[in-house]
Amino acid sequence: MLPFTYALRNLFRDPARLLQTVGGSAVVVLLLIAAVAMNQGMDSVLSSSGSPRNVILMGKGSEESLERSEVSIDAESAAATSISGIETKLGVAAISGEITYQAPIRTSSGKEEPALLRGVLEKALLVHTSVRLLEGTFPGPGEVMVGDLTHRKLGVEKEELAVGQQLYFGDSAMRISGRFTAPGTVLESEIWFDRNDLSSLTQRDSLSSIILRLENTNADDVELFTFQRNDLELAAIREDKYYEKLSIFYQPIQIMTWVTAALVGAGAVFGGLNTLYAAFASRIKEMATLQSIGYTRTALFVSLIQESVLATLSGTLLAFVIAYFLLDGRTVPFSIGTFTLTMTPSVIFTGLIAGILLGTIGTLPPAIRCLLPSLPKALRSN
Amino acid sequence: MKDNLISIKSVTKSFTKGKTTITPLENLSLDVPRGEFLSLMGPSGSGKTTLLNLIAGIDTPTSGEILINGEDISQLSRAQLTKWRAVHVGYIFQLYHLVPILSAYENVELPLLLGKYSKAERKKKINAALELVGLSDRADHRPSELSGGQEQRVAIARAIVHDPDLLVADEPTGDLDRESADSILNLLNSLAKDHGKTVVMVTHDPKASAAAHRALQLEKGQFSSEGHLLNTSTQ
Repeated sequence: MLPFTYALRNLFRDPARLLQTVGGSAVVVLLLIAAVAMNQGMDSVLSSSGSPRNVILMGKGSEESLERSEVSIDAESAAATSISGIETKLGVAAISGEITYQAPIRTSSGKEEPALLRGVLEKALLVHTSVRLLEGTFPGPGEVMVGDLTHRKLGVEKEELAVGQQLYFGDSAMRISGRFTAPGTVLESEIWFDRNDLSSLTQRDSLSSIILRLENTNADDVELFTFQRNDLELAAIREDKYYEKLSIFYQPIQIMTWVTAALVGAGAVFGGLNTLYAAFASRIKEMATLQSIGYTRTALFVSLIQESVLATLSGTLLAFVIAYFLLDGRTVPFSIGTFTLTMTPSVIFTGLIAGILLGTIGTLPPAIRCLLPSLPKALRSN
Repeated sequence: MKDNLISIKSVTKSFTKGKTTITPLENLSLDVPRGEFLSLMGPSGSGKTTLLNLIAGIDTPTSGEILINGEDISQLSRAQLTKWRAVHVGYIFQLYHLVPILSAYENVELPLLLGKYSKAERKKKINAALELVGLSDRADHRPSELSGGQEQRVAIARAIVHDPDLLVADEPTGDLDRESADSILNLLNSLAKDHGKTVVMVTHDPKASAAAHRALQLEKGQFSSEGHLLNTSTQ
């Protein structure tokens, strides 16, 4: 085998080509890890948002979307009295009738963006156990409570959503009474209203859903209730399953990010091929000389691959550094919430594999072409 | 009976180019005694480089036998020939073919990296080879920092460092001025005469050819005449 330093030094033989390869692979790897981090972030926030012990009662036929669902207000008390196995805390059953509504919200600076609004009573905290009040109070009439990442969803500075600030639903001004956190869930980007307020603001006399927190994950009794109270036209779905279904809804977006990353990657490979064809063509004679000395074609092939992989891995390292400063921890809003881009080990592993593949796949054809000619012909080449 | 390092028997080399079959060498036989400095001359296309490549195991004949040190290399595969060259041949090119990113020392080290030598053994051999070609003080220089004559000396050091029996040189003085060329020819002569190497050199230059023990003229793939024979200790 040729010494590794031969591959290493060859990298600097043509600084322009080195820059091109490192830069190109950095862009591809950065894009790829952004795509992976995005898809993982979205999957993670959706899978963390639902608890297997929570069951959502929704209007029959609208199981796909909480916002379209309509449930009679009476169903809440009926469910509370009929279903056994609902968790109780300090004598209060963990059951929360809620209104979920997607609408544009205006901030005091005049910026208007759609946000997910949830009309709740205080007992909502018994079912949404991840929610913790960071400051202020639960919203009363004329008030709202904002999630810790709601500002990202609305595209404003965090200070604009500080306790005491105003938000506008149409012409109605709502005072921000509190700020809550619900780490890693879509709830953290929501705006919580007093249920009666949201009911009158949206002019609806029904709920969107009733969420029950059970003592365990067995939801048979809830299913039975929906069959027995056919008149209420309810469908039961476990909360974690609901968000699982939602993630299927977002799959086309995830596929698009993969396709984009793959297309850019393919473009980079073809660009790299062009560069390497020229670079290796100028070294056919050198490769032939090394063969005449006694180096096998396999040894030379490995050295060429080492050289390219070194360049693409340098690009990968650069991509990691850029990703660490630009992407890691960055929150990205999407229609029902906000997810966080995180440089997890699997994201880094994907980037590494991509870097190695770029180096090898992009090098195979030029390397083969460089080493394939017969030795006498290669020694005569210019 | 002479101790031949090279014994070529009825060798023919043909290849096809499009629909035409070209035969640069036809039914050629040659014996080269161990320690001889042989020069092959001839016009372009006479087959001298083809013959040199066959002797060096760079190429294989269409028919015939090439015995080097008793081993028929015409039967070896490409991979086997590569291994064989690593041990038995040192190749000197007209344009030196040094690796530009490596220093003179590192260029000379290349053949040794194929053998099982310790770092200290390699260092000893490289220094000896560089000293033999008179370039001990240029070990750290890259090819771009050397003159043509110095580059060719490094190439010779690279060819001899692993102590092969056979040195082949393709126009080794073709790109050098007269003074440098004479110096290289003296070196090749000394390698044959003083170190027992068998040297086969292809050249266009009659002056270069005159430095060899024996000169053969090739024309259209056949030896046309045998030149001078110097009185050396190996003859």
